[in-house]
Amino acid sequence: MFILDDLLLRPFVGIVDALHTMALDELYDIEAIQDDLKENQLLYELGERSESEYRTQKDELEAELEIAREVHERLTSGRIEVKR
Amino acid sequence: MSNRYVYGITDGDPIEFEADAVRGGEYVYTVTHRRLGAVVSDVDTTELEETDEDAQRHDEVLREIMDRTDGRGVVPMRFGMAFESDRTLKNVLRGARPAFRRALNDVEGRIELGLKVVREADTDVDTEAIETAVADAVEPIADQSVPNGLFSDRLVLNRSYLVDRDDRERFDEAVAALEDEHEALTFRYTGPFAPYSFVDVEIGAGR
Repeated sequence: MFILDDLLLRPFVGIVDALHTMALDELYDIEAIQDDLKENQLLYELGERSESEYRTQKDELEAELEIAREVHERLTSGRIEVKR
Repeated sequence: MSNRYVYGITDGDPIEFEADAVRGGEYVYTVTHRRLGAVVSDVDTTELEETDEDAQRHDEVLREIMDRTDGRGVVPMRFGMAFESDRTLKNVLRGARPAFRRALNDVEGRIELGLKVVREADTDVDTEAIETAVADAVEPIADQSVPNGLFSDRLVLNRSYLVDRDDRERFDEAVAALEDEHEALTFRYTGPFAPYSFVDVEIGAGR
């Protein structure tokens, strides 16, 4: 339903463009990465994750977040071209 | 170092103390405009990047301000509010005066407490029953509460509560009783914080 709505709302954008953008959105889901960061923190605070596990996870997630933000910035500024 | 980083807004007598402040600042003080005070430390930029260390310093300074204002309350600012000079800051205090006054009234004598209920990995729980049990136990003591994001599958409940300082002990006891009643769950009880979740003063223009 979501896909259909999204396409209907944007009739001027080609279907391929829209699908590609959605795929990128999902792949670089900023909110999901932020949730993982918070969960990592919570599990560490509860003593279920060791400090080294926590640090490794945190570093990885922060790196992912940075990339995701960059992708989104490019998407909104139109600097990522969708090829057909 | 003529830029001012703002932690929160208070009223009444100015406060000052030494602290491990944001971006290496060491001294926290008040910039006032007609009894409204912005509690600040000096910084070298108005474009602050949020690091874990600085976010923690922001929280700790706010906690210290809460202790020092003892019941008068502080309207906490979100991380990252910095102004070019005393003048621009005073302009903001002047312009947003009614909003700050209202917010100060809302938080006077109150603190924020956080409660997360976490279930064991790979177990099913009756979320609704837990929500009801928690609500019955603590909502009557709190003035207000707001839900926070359930950012993990393990989270059953995540809320912030605005509680009168005088009711703090009753709230502690209610949470302790909940913990006793639900041994299979973990209760993560945090605070007191400055009431971030209950005041929403947006400042931005003319920074």
